[in-house]
Amino acid sequence: MIQLTDIEKVYRTKTIETVALNRVNLQIERGEFVSIMGPSGCGKSTLLNIMGLLDEPTSGFVAIDGQPVKTHSDSKLAKLRNEKIGFVFQSYHLIHDLSVVDNVELPLLYRSVSASDRRKRALEALEKVGLSARTKHFPNQLSGGQRQRVAIARALAGNPEIILADEPTGNLDSVMGEEIMDILLRLNQEEGTTIVMVTHDENMALKTNRLIRFFDGQQVADSMVIEAQI
Amino acid sequence: MIRHLFKLIWNQKKSNFLLITEIFFSFLVLFAVLSFILYNYHNYTQPLGFKYDKVWQLWLSPNTDSAAHNIAVQQQMIQRVRSFPEVEHASFSNSNTPFAFSQMNAGMSYKSKKDVFSEVFDVQDDYKNVMGIEVSRGRWFGPQDNGSLHDPIVINKKLQEELFGDEDPIGKLIPIDDSTQYAVIGVVDHYRSYSEFDPEKAAYFHRINLEKDKNSIWNGLVIKVKPGAGVAFEEKMVRELSRISKDWTIEVTTQEKMRQSKAKVTTVPMIAMSLVCGFLIINVALGLFGVLWYNINRRYAEIGLRRAIGASSKQIRNQFVGEVLVIATFGLLLGLLLAAQFPLLNVFQLSSVIYWESIGAAAFLIFLLAIVCAIYPSRQASKIFPAVALHEE
Ligand SMILES: Nc1ncnc2c1ncn2[C@@H]1O[C@H](COP(=O)(O)OP(=O)(O)O)[C@@H](O)[C@H]1O
Ligand SMILES: [Mg+2]
Repeated sequence: MIQLTDIEKVYRTKTIETVALNRVNLQIERGEFVSIMGPSGCGKSTLLNIMGLLDEPTSGFVAIDGQPVKTHSDSKLAKLRNEKIGFVFQSYHLIHDLSVVDNVELPLLYRSVSASDRRKRALEALEKVGLSARTKHFPNQLSGGQRQRVAIARALAGNPEIILADEPTGNLDSVMGEEIMDILLRLNQEEGTTIVMVTHDENMALKTNRLIRFFDGQQVADSMVIEAQI
Repeated sequence: MIRHLFKLIWNQKKSNFLLITEIFFSFLVLFAVLSFILYNYHNYTQPLGFKYDKVWQLWLSPNTDSAAHNIAVQQQMIQRVRSFPEVEHASFSNSNTPFAFSQMNAGMSYKSKKDVFSEVFDVQDDYKNVMGIEVSRGRWFGPQDNGSLHDPIVINKKLQEELFGDEDPIGKLIPIDDSTQYAVIGVVDHYRSYSEFDPEKAAYFHRINLEKDKNSIWNGLVIKVKPGAGVAFEEKMVRELSRISKDWTIEVTTQEKMRQSKAKVTTVPMIAMSLVCGFLIINVALGLFGVLWYNINRRYAEIGLRRAIGASSKQIRNQFVGEVLVIATFGLLLGLLLAAQFPLLNVFQLSSVIYWESIGAAAFLIFLLAIVCAIYPSRQASKIFPAVALHEE
């Protein structure tokens, strides 16, 4: 569903040139739960941003469902992000001035969906993450784990085919982290949502189908996680 | 999306409070200045009821007290003035000729209408010709009034409405004192001579009869000159008149010059207010601009997030412009609550149309200002790279 071919990403500042991704080839299949591991600064977030059409590679090709996106206009890319992709970030990125349910509605705001339909779908998404009782709260009234569940609900509200999660449990303690992981696993298993997740937690990575290891902007391993390893 | 913006601004009302108040105050100041300007403009477009073109103004004042002598001199002067071939018409009047800094008024009563105040203009028969006044009903003064029992007056429509309502004013007698009654002989549609920027007031002309009145000295003398009469004629006329009235002070000016200096009384404060208002607006614009800029930097991550979940860069730009418009709307609504009291309670007796027009124009200007200030920062916001905005260490 997402193909990356010969992806290179170079950040150039006045003084230094950082090669964040170096000739990465990767194919994400529909229904997979892929985890990406690697030391800090090895290019994981950059990779996710390129997969999520938030950033352009310096060279190489990105294709979504076989369609190269290089020539897409800004609004076409925005539409693809809106309809196909859901993002979950380490620091949640909730809008503090909006209530939980308003935050969850956000992706639908960029589609032609009626206000009542928006509300309905947001509430459904919140139910999936077990936050039906907190819809009118504001983000600063919630714990970290709850905030991340709101962020997942927000990703779900748009009914995406793929969720890109960048260290979704990175700011959470292990109990809350487990909760988040359980939600993601359930989404993948029950609804067939494709998930690509960056993590530092070996145990969580082992619960996924496929583990890709990165080092210094390069894939160093890509292997199926075998049940027996768990 | 509009509801979303209102919600966002409403939830951020604390941080937007300053901007909203700023817009509230600028709206009120704009409203006040625009009301003032529109009021003057509205008056300016109304008919004056006379023509000042080629009308000269002479100011005559005797420097001695000998009344009988002065009356005689006055008679000689008007005769001499009329004899110049360059002079078409001439009339004595009081000092309240058009655009002069002088007003005279009196109260009069008719039946149930008590003490209706009116401007009074003492003029000779020829005044109509000097000033090009047109009588719309009845007639102007003439020699037939010399023997009349009552003092003839010609009134303007405004006085007619205030005094007689719908009744026919011609022939109506107005008691003034035990021995005097005024008889209305004619009506002019308009006579608005104090300033081009002042509204018309009730007014009437009262006839000067030099044959009968042997006591009054008339300070004003207006003359209509033929085309081409200029400085040379002015000098000649003053020279000749000084010969007749050796101990009088004679000053000559034109109605055009008087009109200009009277106009300054209104235009100078108008320009000053507009300048102050302009500076205020620039200030508000800079404030708006600064706050927006700050907001956009503070909301970097939000911009990144919105891009990630599907906002195009155009939608980001529209959102920020939209937010400013919503903030402006909040400020305007507050201002409107106050400004609307003026037409509703009829403050200052200005026509409510002027107030509503000012409210509309002020609101338009505020929105325009908001959009102009919002466009650049919003465009910058729309250019932020989402990956950079979302970057976390
Ligand atoms: N916007 C940027 N400008 C310059 N360098 C960047 C930028 N974003 C990331 N980098 C650099 O690219 C490398 C990879 O970053 P990142 O993808 O965030 O790594 P990870 O998510 O694996 O920690 C790092 O060296 C980082 O400093
Ligand atoms: Mg990272």
